[in-house]
Amino acid sequence: MMALRADFCWFPVHNTRRNLIRSRAVLSAGPRDATKGEDLQMPQRDLLDTMLKRQKVLADFADFALQSDDLDEVLQEACRLVAAAMGTERAKVLEIEDDGDSLFLRAGIGWAPGDVGHLRLSMQDHSSESFAIRAREPVITRDIAQEDRFEVPDFMKKEGIVALVNVPIFLPRQGAFGLLQVDDTRPRDFDGHDSAFLRTYAGILGPIVDRLLRLRDLRATEERFRLTVEAAADYAIFVTDAEDRITDWLPGAAAVFGWTAEEVRGKPSAMLYTPEDRAAGVPDQERDTALRQGSAPDVRWHLRKDGSQVFIEGSRRALGHMPGGGFLKIGQDVTERRLADEQLRASEERLRLLGELAPALLWQADATGDRIELNGRALGYLGQSPGELQAGGWLDSVHPEDREATAQAFAEAFRSGQPLELQYRLRGRDGGYHWFLCRQVPWQDANGRLAGWFGAALDIDELRRLQMRQEVLVAELQHRTRNLIGVVRSVAHQTMGETGSIGAFREAFDHRLKALSRVQGLLSRAEHEPITLRALLSLELDALGAAEGQRLPLQGPPVCIRPSHAQTLALALHELATNARKHGALSGAGGRLGIRWELRDGPAGRHLHIDWHEDGLNRAGACPAEPRADGGYGRVLIEQALPHSLGARTTYALGLTELRCTIDLPLDAGTSGRS
Amino acid sequence: MTTVASLSGRHILLVEDDFIIALDQAAMLEEAGARVVGPAPTVAAALDLVARSEHLDGAVLDVNLRGETSYPVADALRTRSVPFVFLTGYDPSIIAADYADAPVCEKPLDLQRVARGIFG
Repeated sequence: MMALRADFCWFPVHNTRRNLIRSRAVLSAGPRDATKGEDLQMPQRDLLDTMLKRQKVLADFADFALQSDDLDEVLQEACRLVAAAMGTERAKVLEIEDDGDSLFLRAGIGWAPGDVGHLRLSMQDHSSESFAIRAREPVITRDIAQEDRFEVPDFMKKEGIVALVNVPIFLPRQGAFGLLQVDDTRPRDFDGHDSAFLRTYAGILGPIVDRLLRLRDLRATEERFRLTVEAAADYAIFVTDAEDRITDWLPGAAAVFGWTAEEVRGKPSAMLYTPEDRAAGVPDQERDTALRQGSAPDVRWHLRKDGSQVFIEGSRRALGHMPGGGFLKIGQDVTERRLADEQLRASEERLRLLGELAPALLWQADATGDRIELNGRALGYLGQSPGELQAGGWLDSVHPEDREATAQAFAEAFRSGQPLELQYRLRGRDGGYHWFLCRQVPWQDANGRLAGWFGAALDIDELRRLQMRQEVLVAELQHRTRNLIGVVRSVAHQTMGETGSIGAFREAFDHRLKALSRVQGLLSRAEHEPITLRALLSLELDALGAAEGQRLPLQGPPVCIRPSHAQTLALALHELATNARKHGALSGAGGRLGIRWELRDGPAGRHLHIDWHEDGLNRAGACPAEPRADGGYGRVLIEQALPHSLGARTTYALGLTELRCTIDLPLDAGTSGRS
Repeated sequence: MTTVASLSGRHILLVEDDFIIALDQAAMLEEAGARVVGPAPTVAAALDLVARSEHLDGAVLDVNLRGETSYPVADALRTRSVPFVFLTGYDPSIIAADYADAPVCEKPLDLQRVARGIFG
């Protein structure tokens, strides 16, 4: 504890006494000055006894004063002893009060109990007390009735005081503390011995009073200090010696660390550090820094008695100016704040990660939208520096066609404080634009004022592409359906025109509808499974029960047929196959069918050349009423529909033993050909 | 009210690239007494017919012809003040804004509508 006192100032005390010294007045010698040599009239024997007795009083008082720290007790004893030594019944100590204008009856003997410790006297210039202080020596009044140098207080006269001696008490190197007064109710002829004794007595009293006053101040200071540090329960305060062993362990330290003063006194302060810090030499480093720089920060986890850890934010101060040196350590337990900080940081980190994880461009803007902060994904997508994005700079990344509308929508949101939802295209760092769905909401501060904005933009490019594609697909489907209805109607009308009976119509129409249906199946899968010529042919021939094999040589390279060509081509091939099944190579009446195709290059691009050849036919006995495809719907499809719809060139030659049909289909000319 | 009968004796240009459909449309028009000019499968063929036909009373134009649009044919007909209708399997909204005032019929062909489209 000694170490701590250096931090406090001594309070200035007894200034008024110092002032009294300076204003010392010229003393006029009284008519009965104590120095008159009447002592010799006293018998030598009595004198010796008195002096011995007084010597003993002085010695007893000194003993008593050494053993007591209580000023009042000492002054009371001083009064008792001096009264006894002087052979009077009354003595008292008057203390000059801080205002310098009054005297306080501090201690006394022979006085009414209500007076001592209570009575105050005005200290005027013409009082006996002021006179004595100015005189700086005992002032004897043998009889107050004859006193003309000063006035004697009324209460003393009432008590019947007749004679008194005022002995000023001076504090070493300071002013007067007050007065020792020895009173007698009888006229008393105090002599030079009395005066000398009282002077000696006051001379002893002064330093003793001084010591006790200082002690009193020190105790007050210590008490204040103790109250202060003991109240600071959140602050761990302790003192170590030069070897860093704990010497003083205050209640706050006990509260924070859990150990009692008895448990830690004499132990190295390193015990409070974590094993890791001890192993890393932290305590020594901290001590060295404190010795070198006066103090060292100590902000780290420390150990508690129960093994848990406490985060201390504090410092170590070197007490180099104090005897024995050592260190003062003061630290605050900020564990909760630290944990809260850590939790906050963890929470912020989680939020940041969430922000990076979310497949969205996120931003935070101030109320006016001038300052924005973006997440890593947004910065990565835009490829602009954070600085370029400020004050609306991000609008540079908006597609020129969307920029004005976007700028207006945001300006309106910032003006009105309303949430915003908008779709626009944003340029990525690769220069390409993606569609984004953007939402921005305002947030208010604790006072309900608009504090800023949170925004998120979701890349909906793929979604929009799919939507658009879906729209296209739906339109195509509608178109195909309507076309198909037209085709079906047309096929029905044509079939009706060439068949006589309803039964024949039904059979022929049914076959053609089935062929249409088959090609629709291919068309619906065409996106994933391109339609090949071989697939078209196999589908038709399989439908007739003819399997690809030796009788059905299909020869040709893989060729993809455009979906827009597939339907008309399939219907034409269906007619060829149906006729072969009814009348030709597939009828079972002999003959062979061969289908070959190849790719040819022409001036306008590639052509697919298909050669349908039936031979070994025996048409000599064929009924002339059966026209084969001549003039029939098949021939119409081949000779008119294929050229008209697909730009193909076709031939159809039917002889007595063979049928040859060629279809030359441009593959590269024109485009979709849809209507 | 305009009826199918108004087609009778009229020279109607038919522009349709799908022959199977065109065949039927032509048959329907002819049944109504119209004289079919065409059918033309391409813009070029249709423009050729427009140029060569002295007499044209109206036209039925498929919008998409093998990847082209029949708008040049519409322009040529407008020049000659020949009324026409567009015919399409798509939604009528696909017609370009320049031809927004032209009547549009959806496929399959409905003679009544076509007659009303052409002759009002």
